[in-house]
Amino acid sequence: MAGSREARLAALRGRIAAIEAGTRTLTPVLPFGDPAIDGCFPGGGLPLGGWHEVTGAGLEGETGAAPAAFVGLLLRPLVKAGAIVWIARRSDLFAPGLFGLGFPTERLIQVRARDEAETLSVLEDALSTQGVAAAVGEAEAPDLTAGRRLQLACEKRGGFGVVLHRRPYGGRAGAGQAVSGSAAFSRWRIGPSPTPSPPDDIGLGPPRWRVELERCRGGRPGAWILEAQEAGHGPHPFRLVSQLADHDVAAAEPGLRYVG
Amino acid sequence: MALVPNLVTFDHDPVADRIALEALCDWCVRFSPAVAIDGADGLFLDITGTDHLWGGERDMLVDLVARLARWGVPARAAIADTAGAAWALARFGARLGDDLAIAAPGEQRAAIEDLPVAALRLEDAAEAQLPRLGLHRVGQLFALPRAQLAKRFGLGLTLRLDQALGMAAEALTFRRPATPWFDRLAFFEPISAPEDLARAAGDALALICQRLEAEGRGAKRFEVVFHRLDGQAYPVRANLARIGRDAKRLTKLIIPKLDKVDPGFGVEVVTVHAAAVEPLAAAQDRLDAEAGTSLDETLAPLIDRLVNRLGEARVWRADPYESHVPERSVVRKAPLDPPAAAKWDLDRPRPVRLFKRPEAITAIAKLPDDPPMSFTWRGRAHRVRRAEGPERIGQEWWRAGVGETDTGPGKVRDYYRVEDDVGGRFWIFRQGLFGVDEAPKWWIHGLFG
Repeated sequence: MAGSREARLAALRGRIAAIEAGTRTLTPVLPFGDPAIDGCFPGGGLPLGGWHEVTGAGLEGETGAAPAAFVGLLLRPLVKAGAIVWIARRSDLFAPGLFGLGFPTERLIQVRARDEAETLSVLEDALSTQGVAAAVGEAEAPDLTAGRRLQLACEKRGGFGVVLHRRPYGGRAGAGQAVSGSAAFSRWRIGPSPTPSPPDDIGLGPPRWRVELERCRGGRPGAWILEAQEAGHGPHPFRLVSQLADHDVAAAEPGLRYVG
Repeated sequence: MALVPNLVTFDHDPVADRIALEALCDWCVRFSPAVAIDGADGLFLDITGTDHLWGGERDMLVDLVARLARWGVPARAAIADTAGAAWALARFGARLGDDLAIAAPGEQRAAIEDLPVAALRLEDAAEAQLPRLGLHRVGQLFALPRAQLAKRFGLGLTLRLDQALGMAAEALTFRRPATPWFDRLAFFEPISAPEDLARAAGDALALICQRLEAEGRGAKRFEVVFHRLDGQAYPVRANLARIGRDAKRLTKLIIPKLDKVDPGFGVEVVTVHAAAVEPLAAAQDRLDAEAGTSLDETLAPLIDRLVNRLGEARVWRADPYESHVPERSVVRKAPLDPPAAAKWDLDRPRPVRLFKRPEAITAIAKLPDDPPMSFTWRGRAHRVRRAEGPERIGQEWWRAGVGETDTGPGKVRDYYRVEDDVGGRFWIFRQGLFGVDEAPKWWIHGLFG
C-alpha cells in the first residue's frame, strides 16, 4: 500500500510539474561546479531560461561593484553561446575591469538607458533576441508585471537575465529592495569578503565575495564565500572557499559598517 | 519713397536669403535628388531620368514653376542638356517668350545663339569688354577663332562656351551627393493619417529595397522624407548596423519615429534615399532559421532596434585603446565593428566600476610612497588591510591639450589597489609627490568588486 501511495504521489508531482512547466521545455542550467552550491537548485544549477536578482550588501547596493564583478564572473561561461548585453543608466561599468576577471569584453554590448522603464524594456528586448546569451540590467526595482514580462522574454530563447539592483547614490538603504520580483528564479546578495594574504605576502590575492542565495524557486537558500578562479583553471568561474556557517569571518562581521 | 508711398522696404539680409535658398533647395529634392545651389539666386536640378515621372520635361517645368508661384516665389526656369545652357536660358531666354524655356536635346547651340554674352556666366572684366568690341550676342562668339578669344578674354570664356555647348564637363556641387538610390512615391490625394504614413513609408522602402536587391546591394542608412503640401519636409532616418535591404525590418525601425512627422494639411510626396550602399550577396533564406547563422547576423536586428530607439551614442562596445591613462584606455565602438587586435594588460588590474571623476578622500599615509593606512570616503572610514602598488601613471604630455602645467611631478598619479577590513577593494591614487610645493592629494577612482 505504502509503495503504491508513493507511486501515486510521484505521479501527481510529475503532473503538477508538467502543468507548472506549461509548454516550456527543460532548459539547460549554469552550474557552479560545486555540489554544495549546485545542490541548492532544483536543476543542479541556475536555469538559463529565467532571470535572477542580484543585490549588493550594504554600500554595494549603491556602488554595485561587487555585484557587477560577481555577475561578470557568473556569465563568463555563457559568452561562448552569444553576446552579453549590459544595460544601465550610469556608464561607470569599466570594461577593462571585467576583462581582468577573464570576461571577454568583445562580446559585451553596453547600453545606456535613460530611465528605469527603458532599462527594463531594453532588457526584455535583448533577452528575447537570438544571439544574446545573457542580459544584465541595472535597475532599482522591477515590479511584478515587469518581472513576469522578463520571465516570458527569457523563456523565449533560453536567455539568462540578471537584474542588478542598484539604488541611486545617497538613496535610502532598503528602499526598492522590499519589492522582490517573485517572477525571478533566484535572489542573490553579494558583498565583499576579506582575502587572506597571498602566499608570497605581496599585494592582493584573487578577490572573494560573500555570496548569499536568499531565495530560489524550488530550491533552498544558502550562503558561501566564493573566490574568483582564473579563466584557465577549469570551466567554472568560482571556487568555493567555505560555507559561510563554519567560517569565522561570518561571526566577525558585525554589520556595524553597513548600517545604511 | 516719395513717388511710391506704399512701397515696403527691407534691408538686404544675405544670410536669410541664403537660408531660404537652402530651404528651397531641400524642397526641390521632390523633383530630383541632385540639386545644387547656384550663386545667390539660382538652383540647378539634375533631372536626368526623373522627368518621366511628371510626364515630360515641359509638364515638370510647369509644375515646378506653378508650385513656386503659388507660394509667391517668382521663378524662371529652363531645361537644357547642359547646366550652362540652362542657366543662360533661365536668366535670359525668358525675354524671348514666357518664363519657361526648353532647349531640345542637342539644340543648345541654336537656343543660346541669340542671347546676350552675359548669359555665359563670364567674369566681370570679360563681360564688360565684349560689348565694347561689338560682340553682343553669343552667336557672334561662335564665329570667332577660339585661340584669339582665349588670348584676349582669358581661358574662362572658352571654358564657359564649351560648358554651355556640352563640350566641356561641368561639376556641380550638389547639396546632397547625387545617388541612384533614390525613389519617390506621389499620391493623388494628400495623406495624413498615421497608419497611411506608415504604409507609405513601407511602400517607399519596399521600392528602394527591391532595386537594391535586383542589383545585389544593400545600404546602411535610409532616409524617408515626407513632403508636406506647404513645402515643409520631415526626414525620418533609420540606420542599420550591417548593410541590409529588408524593407519590413526598416519599416519597423521607421514607424516609431513617425510621431515626429506633422502631416499638417497632408503629405503629398514621400521620397526615400539610401546611403552607404555596398554590395551585399543575396543570402539564402534558411528553412532552419534558428541554426547556422553567424552571431553578427542574429544580433544586427537587436542593435538596429536599440540604436534607432536610443541613439548611436548609447549603444556601444568598449574596445581597448593604447593609453595608460585609465579614462582614455577605453574607446567606444559600434557593437558590430570588427574587434580590436589590442588587449588590455592583465598585469595592470583595473576596477569594475570607474568613476567619471575621481572623488576626493582624506587619507593617512606614511611618507613618501606608502599606501594609506586608512582613508575616509563619503563619510565612512576604511581601514586598509592590504595594498598593492604603486602604479605610476603620468599625464600624456605628447597630446595636444595637455598643457605644461598638467605634467611635471605635481601631476603624477600613483595608483594603489587597497582592501579594507571587510574585503572591499578600492582603486585610489595620490596626485603629486611629497616634497614639492603642493601637498599631494588623495583620490578614489574606482571600485574592484
